[in-house]
Amino acid sequence: MHQPRIRERAALVALFACLAVSVVTPVASAKNVDLVTLPDREGTELTIYNAEDLTLVRERRSVTLRKGENRLQFSWAGTLIDPTSVELRPLEKQNQVEIIDTVFPGQKPQHLIWNVQSEFDGSCLVEVCYFTSGLTWRMDYTAIANPDETKMDFRGFVRVYNNSGEEYENATVRLIVGKIQLVEKIAELARRSGLQTVPKADDDRYRRLKNRAAAKVFSAAAEAARDSAGASEPSGAKKIVKEGVSEYFMFTVKGNETIRNGWSKRMNAITALDAKFDIVYRLRDYQYGVRPQRFFIWRNDTEHELGDSPLPNGQVRVLRKTAADGLRYLGQQTLHYVPIDAEIEVNLGVDDLVVYERRNLDTARDNFLFHGNNYVSGWDEHRRAVHEIRNYRDKPIRIEVRLQYAGDVEFESEIPVKSFDYRTIEATFEVPSRGAEKFPHRVTIHQGSAKKQDRVRISGN
Amino acid sequence: MRRLPSFPRLRFPARLIPALCALACLVVSLPLEARVKLAALPERERVELRLDHGHYTLVEEERIVPLLASNAKNGNNRVDFSWSNTSIDKDSILFRPLAIRENGKFRAIESEEGRSEVEVVNVSYPPGENAVVWEVYSKKAAAVQVRVSYLIHNLGRSFSYRAQANAGETELSLAAYLHLTNYSGEDFENAAVSAGFGPDFKKDVENQNRIRMLLERFPKVPIRKTFTFDWYSNGPLNANEPFASPIALHYVLENDKDSGLGAFPLQPGKARIFVADGRGGEAFIGEDIAPLTPLDGTAKLFLGQSRDVVCRRTIEKNDRRVIRGNLFDQEIVIKYEIENFRDKPCTLDILEQLNRVAAQYARPAQGDVEWKLGATTSEALRITYPEGQATPKLSVDLPARRRGEDADSQKLVVRFHFTLKNLW
Repeated sequence: MHQPRIRERAALVALFACLAVSVVTPVASAKNVDLVTLPDREGTELTIYNAEDLTLVRERRSVTLRKGENRLQFSWAGTLIDPTSVELRPLEKQNQVEIIDTVFPGQKPQHLIWNVQSEFDGSCLVEVCYFTSGLTWRMDYTAIANPDETKMDFRGFVRVYNNSGEEYENATVRLIVGKIQLVEKIAELARRSGLQTVPKADDDRYRRLKNRAAAKVFSAAAEAARDSAGASEPSGAKKIVKEGVSEYFMFTVKGNETIRNGWSKRMNAITALDAKFDIVYRLRDYQYGVRPQRFFIWRNDTEHELGDSPLPNGQVRVLRKTAADGLRYLGQQTLHYVPIDAEIEVNLGVDDLVVYERRNLDTARDNFLFHGNNYVSGWDEHRRAVHEIRNYRDKPIRIEVRLQYAGDVEFESEIPVKSFDYRTIEATFEVPSRGAEKFPHRVTIHQGSAKKQDRVRISGN
Repeated sequence: MRRLPSFPRLRFPARLIPALCALACLVVSLPLEARVKLAALPERERVELRLDHGHYTLVEEERIVPLLASNAKNGNNRVDFSWSNTSIDKDSILFRPLAIRENGKFRAIESEEGRSEVEVVNVSYPPGENAVVWEVYSKKAAAVQVRVSYLIHNLGRSFSYRAQANAGETELSLAAYLHLTNYSGEDFENAAVSAGFGPDFKKDVENQNRIRMLLERFPKVPIRKTFTFDWYSNGPLNANEPFASPIALHYVLENDKDSGLGAFPLQPGKARIFVADGRGGEAFIGEDIAPLTPLDGTAKLFLGQSRDVVCRRTIEKNDRRVIRGNLFDQEIVIKYEIENFRDKPCTLDILEQLNRVAAQYARPAQGDVEWKLGATTSEALRITYPEGQATPKLSVDLPARRRGEDADSQKLVVRFHFTLKNLW
């Protein structure tokens, strides 16, 4: 039989903070006479942001209030809570409970007192929310193409890291996709607002503070976890619910998660099986260098078995199945955020089986202009060149070529080309298997005082 | 010549904790041998912390000071005010008699032949001490209500905001907080705290305490959500998207009565922004430093970037036309390929900085660039000039994404065609 692990139970569950909510007498003279009660926690929700070291913690507790003024005390020794973010709000009887102010006593670092006016005696469900750092998550992807490289199995995984110093048991986890705008880092705020008086993390006193807080404050939650441990059935993979919030997307891990301190947990969030994709080669000196790059391209839409959420930033690793049920590693790159319906491009780098070769066939200069009678000030330079694309693969390929020129340029080619922008021409070629295509063209560059423009003009198409 | 008597000054407190200021009222008589010392320390009747100014905090405290009648025999009253372990701007200290107690009631101080019944004759600054001594004339012996005012350091204010948008992002619930930070070295019990607007508070402001107070709550503030593309301010999106640029997101709100605001100028402070998630909860979506927003002013809260609206900008045409010698016009067409991957429509504002366009593709203009709109500018672009003629704002409406339809067909392509005139 599975034995409960005492150490885990004593650890903090949903809150890394040392939370002590106490109701103390409202009399000024009795400020330090705390009638400590540890209210039950009804639940904890963690919203973790991947672009910043930021987690929003919301927890519900029932506090017992007296009619009149109440002082609720909250402390968070040894954690990275941003004190300016800590808020208390009643979830019921809102018109009978008023948060008068929040006092951060200078004598007690990492400690605050809420002055609360209540119109009644009794229990009230409240929410305590705050920002902390220490929890992060990130995405990574695996794409496994079939041997023919026509379809792939694409999977995305969320991985939640807990380096907060505390353990999270039975917390509902929500993951926010998107780059959040922050004025100040949460960890810096935590340090600035009192942690300078807290012992260092490797200090015995620090550990004692944390352990005491853990044992004291989360005993109720640990109890609940212990109670439910025996009754719960093993479950399959967690379903991750995806929904949009403002300009962000939220992944909610259904059910409650436990993540031990220092551990990380990886969960499958996105699956697309047998998704088709295209292979395109691109030559863009100014962006990728002088050799063509090989791309897998598909879309984040239903046609490609995706499209129910954007794809967050993450590393994507691309492999291909071999005939013998093995795998071959093709490459990897960082995938930048892909909105729903947008194109997904994975650059696999150069391909040794596709060669792009350039040769200048002829150079001539004419139309000289002179400064005075003896010095050349301008001229036209004519270049005749041929580029050759050779495909040694046993499948035809498509290659998109962009050539960028500086200055006043006339471009002429029998192959159809078009302008990508004022200084870049674009052409697309289909190159047969084990075949070659040629791209002959002529370029005239007006140099020196003959230069009248700064653009490429296409002629002869 | 009469010598000023040397007299003992009582200092309250001698140390930091008991009180900020020792207001010892010594009513002394002149000449020396007739000196009478009144050692009673008047209680602070009232203390007020005025936080109106962004950098200085004014403390005003009221006390009842017993004064003797000034006459040739006794001379004037001398009131000694000293402090320690707190940082008071000595030059800012004011002593203002307000009222005289008569028959158990206070009445206004009167003047006769240009001279007030009670008035400060002069103030002395003892060397090397944190003290001032007021010489006070009093027509008759009376208990006088006085107000002592001074600027104090290390007691300050700041503001913050918590904004929660509804799920449709059309309204904000905005809470404004006043933060009082007291590291002055002094405790102020039952102090009236005023930011100069909003409610006044009564607080025990102990030394080293920080107090957060709800200044005002504005429940339904209409907002506009804006999407802005500004190539020259934000640069390329990333290495894979060298022609795209981040789309900046803002909530825009007006500080006026129609918006449920307009109660006071919104002070600069950190605004944390949440949005309802439609399931009874909320999600944090960013924070910004709210700017000072005067009444009827507009506040823009930066939320980060939208990654579901993509705009790629390329220079499609860049032709020079020589007029004479080195004088020329430059004809430019900027092409924008815009995709809205959101399932809601929106308006994209494109800011073009034509002075920088001229500097990059033609020549820096002499002052603001002169330019003329070209004929092939897309009709979908609405052009306005909120930041001046050299920075046109091109607004284009983007329909919601139609799921399942061809992605390329939903790409909107618009062009901004213009000629930069008379460059050399």
